[in-house]
Amino acid sequence: MKRYSQYSTNISDFSDVPFWKKAGTMDLVYVSYGIFIVILVIVSYILGAFNLLPFDPHEINIKLLMAPPKTAGHILGTDFMGRDILSRLIIGIQAYFLPGLLAIAIALVIGTCFGILAGYWGGGFDTAITYINNLLNSFPRLVLILLMVAAFKPDIYYIMVIVGITNVPVVASLIKGKIQFLKQKYFIEAATALGLKNRIIIFKHILWHNCRSVLIIQATLGMAEAILMETSLSYLGFGVQEPIPSWEIWFCLEPTTLCRASSGRRRHRHLLYCLPSWVFIYLATG
Amino acid sequence: MKLSAIRPILLLICKELAIAGLLLLGVSFIVFIILFLSPGDPFSLLLKGQMASDAVGAGTREALRVPAAWYAQYLSWLSNILRGNFGTSIRTGLPVLSEVIRVGINTLYLTIGSMLVTLLLAVPIAILSARRGMTVFTWTSTIFTYVVSALPVFWFGYIVIYISMHQFGLFPLAFGSSSQKIGWLYFMPPVLVLGIGNGTISEVVRYLREEMERVFSEDYIRLARAKGASIWKHSFKEGFLIPITEIIASKIPFILGGAVVVEQVFNWPGMGRMAWQAAQDRDYPLIMGITIVAAIIVRLGSLIQSVVYIIVNPRASQK
Repeated sequence: MKRYSQYSTNISDFSDVPFWKKAGTMDLVYVSYGIFIVILVIVSYILGAFNLLPFDPHEINIKLLMAPPKTAGHILGTDFMGRDILSRLIIGIQAYFLPGLLAIAIALVIGTCFGILAGYWGGGFDTAITYINNLLNSFPRLVLILLMVAAFKPDIYYIMVIVGITNVPVVASLIKGKIQFLKQKYFIEAATALGLKNRIIIFKHILWHNCRSVLIIQATLGMAEAILMETSLSYLGFGVQEPIPSWEIWFCLEPTTLCRASSGRRRHRHLLYCLPSWVFIYLATG
Repeated sequence: MKLSAIRPILLLICKELAIAGLLLLGVSFIVFIILFLSPGDPFSLLLKGQMASDAVGAGTREALRVPAAWYAQYLSWLSNILRGNFGTSIRTGLPVLSEVIRVGINTLYLTIGSMLVTLLLAVPIAILSARRGMTVFTWTSTIFTYVVSALPVFWFGYIVIYISMHQFGLFPLAFGSSSQKIGWLYFMPPVLVLGIGNGTISEVVRYLREEMERVFSEDYIRLARAKGASIWKHSFKEGFLIPITEIIASKIPFILGGAVVVEQVFNWPGMGRMAWQAAQDRDYPLIMGITIVAAIIVRLGSLIQSVVYIIVNPRASQK
């Protein structure tokens, strides 16, 4: 973080170079990856809504249980209940990525607000927000979720709200540190001296020009964490449940069948479900 | 050391203790609020089944001396907790605290062992890559730690079970047969799986390497190098001890969370498995007790971290 902020010169703000040329390569990769995920979700919605899938994802074909790929029009074969795997893969995108998107949206919005309050105004806000952060950090996340499950029996989206809230301290402390560092810079002092409003300084000079990259990195990291959390929860039996197609359910069913499975084909398939979270972590740490 | 030198340190430690106490108070409040807001209570159950009117319910409340206001309920609940009375489990009827402590010891073995595994793997990689720069070995091992951190821990656990137990028959499927001589060996798979797969190993490597590189480029290390003194001895406190206690303290919640899953995979009779069972049965008192005990463990970890920081860093106690 320390090194990164030194690149951000405010000279480029006054140049005529369009913004996509100003952005660094890594920025573009992160943003395009985010857009890619959103497009995946939208495409899967459209395909599902207009019946464009090759098969009905819920249709059970008893004659074709666990069929290998490319039998009778099933490109990827069928699962243990004879449902088409390709269609379920496409529909499963929604249940796989939407909760994660919800979690990071909450973490980023609340975390940024907290960070601004603590970093820009400081004083009492800083103490209070440090206390809240430490409080949220005191709970092991999975144990807190289990507590909520015992108390409310919530569905996956409510659980992802909790995951988002427990991610708030990370974002808040990052933004706080960044703002405290930026406040000593001359351009913020100049902006204050020019009489700019606080909200312009915060949203334009601090957040948009200098915290963008941090937020994007945090978003991808949080997404990966949320997806890992989702798969763990599905494994424990509190996540998305079976009839709804979702990627992580296979992910959880595969290992249990692995110990029994005799065919080599199934053994390799679950590696595929690892890929999204891997890709996220690589991108975020890359 | 003279008393005058110790006093500021003691004062700071007292302050840290007070902060920890305040945070635990907040934790208990959050847990209480969650339980308070959760639907249903014993009285509504009684009312639905047996009592005719609300007035009778209110009468029962009074007879059992249950205060109506939420803060009064919180205070009485808190005083019970402070006296060590966490209630009894709905499912088994046993007192919660003794149950949690009984299984908590197993979890402690698991988490401490896995933390040691994580550190044994991560610290050499971090030190090597901080001292020697990015060689082929450190590069591949860093990539390896990232790959491993992205694995869901239960998946990794099943792979280990499959390979070590089904393919090669190295370990028996059941654990805890400590009567045998090599009983400790059976603890190895879960400890290894949690240590490698809890997702903190890449963080440890990255943080430790960054801190060591920063310290190595400080002026006092350059001076030590120039006069031919041991760099390791000079950089040990700031470059190794402080970051490692910091990262351990901040990763305790993650390791405890990972323990829930690993205990489930390996049927380890620990706190996480008990929490899972309690969530399955909606056993409020039990899961509440587990949450509070887990929060106490987390706070203890960060308390130790700040004490180490205060003792090691003389500047911290001089203000």
